[in-house]
Amino acid sequence: MRILVVEDEPDLLASLARALREEGYAVDTAENGEEALFKAESYDYDTIVLDVMLPKLDGWSVLRRLRQTKKTPVLMLTARDAGRDRVRGLDSGADDYVVKPFDLDELFARLRALIRRSSNQTTTIIEVGAVKLDTAARRVFFRGQPVELTAREYALAEFLVLHRGKVVTRTELYEHLFDEDDSTLSNLLDVHVSNIRKKLGAEFIATRRGHGYCIE
Amino acid sequence: MIFKSIKWRLQLWYALILTVLLAGFGFTAFQLERGRVLRPIDEGLQHRANALANMLRPPPNRGREGEPPGEEPRGPWHRDDRPSDDPAPGHGLATRLPEFAGRPFLLPRQLAGLFEEADTNGFYFALSRDGKVVLSSKNIPAGLVFSGALSRPPNPPVSRGAWREMLFFPSPSGRVDGEIVVLVGRSIAVELDLLHRVALMLSAVGGGILLLGLAGGSWIATRAIRPIQEISATALKISAGDLSRRIDAADTESELGQMAMVLNSTFARLESVFSQQRQFTSDAAHELRTPVAVILTQTQTTLNRERSPEEYRQALQSCQRAAQRMRRLIESLLAIARLDAGLESPSESPFDLAASVQDCMELVKPLSQERGIRMFGALNPVSCLGDEDRIGLVINNLLTNAIHHNHAGGEVQVNTRLEKGVAVLTVSDNGPGIAAEHLPHIFERFYRVDTARTSVEGRVGLGLAICKSIVASHGGTIEVLSQAGAGAAFTVRLPSPSPA
Repeated sequence: MRILVVEDEPDLLASLARALREEGYAVDTAENGEEALFKAESYDYDTIVLDVMLPKLDGWSVLRRLRQTKKTPVLMLTARDAGRDRVRGLDSGADDYVVKPFDLDELFARLRALIRRSSNQTTTIIEVGAVKLDTAARRVFFRGQPVELTAREYALAEFLVLHRGKVVTRTELYEHLFDEDDSTLSNLLDVHVSNIRKKLGAEFIATRRGHGYCIE
Repeated sequence: MIFKSIKWRLQLWYALILTVLLAGFGFTAFQLERGRVLRPIDEGLQHRANALANMLRPPPNRGREGEPPGEEPRGPWHRDDRPSDDPAPGHGLATRLPEFAGRPFLLPRQLAGLFEEADTNGFYFALSRDGKVVLSSKNIPAGLVFSGALSRPPNPPVSRGAWREMLFFPSPSGRVDGEIVVLVGRSIAVELDLLHRVALMLSAVGGGILLLGLAGGSWIATRAIRPIQEISATALKISAGDLSRRIDAADTESELGQMAMVLNSTFARLESVFSQQRQFTSDAAHELRTPVAVILTQTQTTLNRERSPEEYRQALQSCQRAAQRMRRLIESLLAIARLDAGLESPSESPFDLAASVQDCMELVKPLSQERGIRMFGALNPVSCLGDEDRIGLVINNLLTNAIHHNHAGGEVQVNTRLEKGVAVLTVSDNGPGIAAEHLPHIFERFYRVDTARTSVEGRVGLGLAICKSIVASHGGTIEVLSQAGAGAAFTVRLPSPSPA
């Protein structure tokens, strides 16, 4: 899952990005509205955390202009909690709204919910054959037994599960699993896929040669 | 309690004035009526008194030229020898009175007609010498006391009980000189009764008018008071917290309409002050949210697992920056709150503005060097009246502002001078300047030219607001001249104890 975090307070931006990375997300950052809009229009982020008060272009404007082209889920981050502001936020196309100072666990839960909703999942537990994914606890079970996956492996598995039934191209996978700072070679994907197959059974991920991967 | 009410006081005064007016009017009307009723009676009395006097006086030629009386004086007569003709004037009856003492006595016929004996309402007369009645008509009222009558001045007619009387002296001198005193009178019981009824009627009509007047007055007072009650009802609602309400001041010409307008403008000011205060509180809370968010996020992520010492250090540094920012914000907020409350009125003592500026420039020198900004001072010693510490805060804020909002390698010019008896400080920079749209708001609390916080440098958006409050509390002014791209110049004018 790749997330764009837009925040102009450098300390907050850095700590948010670090926390999200540790949760297994690929995180891009932007410090002002223009940069945020450019990045949001360039990549298909799984979700965007958008601060309202931004230099150059404020959060509302970024959201309004982004909504003309994309439906990326957006979580607004703001220091204002007046009811009017919340209504305005939700009305102008924001998918969720979190008021500073926020609890990090709550923010994560809301982000998971946003990602789940955008892939039409309703629960945090997803079962595919003998594999069970707990997206809230970020744990995987194979035939009822917990299986240890690395953060990358888990992210890959989760992305494929959330896009179940669709063929996910290598480019898509690459874009959603690695952030702008990653200089990982794309053939590393094959390594991750093979590791997952070892742990969760070869039939869990099907390869569509020339297209990408798929979970039925 | 009830007499505290304006309505009741109005009512009371109104009743008092109305009563006095009605009483005056009624009294005058009664007196006029009384005069009208009594005038014919008094004329009758006068007429009869004259007739009696004629009869009593000696004949006109008698005693003149020392002649003996040529003619037997005539009358008063006994019943049978009364002459049928009218008595001529000057019968000299006065001299013959003793003859008639205690005997039946008849007046000449014409004179007798004037005093109708049978009629109790008719005129009567009495003659007296030395306070004793020597001759009187038969219908003289019982209990007539001459001595009492004598104490009255002769003429004009006066009322005594149910009688109207007139006293006179038939002597040519017209004075009491031991001669005969004559009392002419008549009963005025009927007239008094009439007057009594007139008085009753006047009282009744007056009372009626008073009641009607009071009712009308009450109506008018209630009407006059009603807008006041409406105003107070609205004011009550406003004081209960609904500051958006206004008094309906449709009739702006009247005194109450003007009052309502004055109150409305007061309420409007109150509301704007309140909403400013609310905005200020909300802004302050908003400013505190971000550093708290930084601390929460940092601590939560850092404590999630074991970290390297370097990571802990970074997290702590980040928390420290956030805490510093909150400390600065809190200090600014407290400064503003104190200035607002006016708790500490600035101590007024003269000091050298140039020296203060010099000190402040030394203080901010590290900051300016760090940002590569050169500061130039053209400081003329100028005495300034006020609180040196607070003015120092103003200078410091302006200097750090000029440094922060400047390009690297920019310049800051500081100038102090005396201008028309006013101490003037100018801080100008050649930075990017301030766009015209922001200039009117630059001194507002939490107003930032850039809508996003520039918290990186620890600016909280209160510096200029604090400057303005401090300068205003010194009775000075602060203004800004700027053009986008051409730097900004802040000018502070402060009272100087040495007028030029």
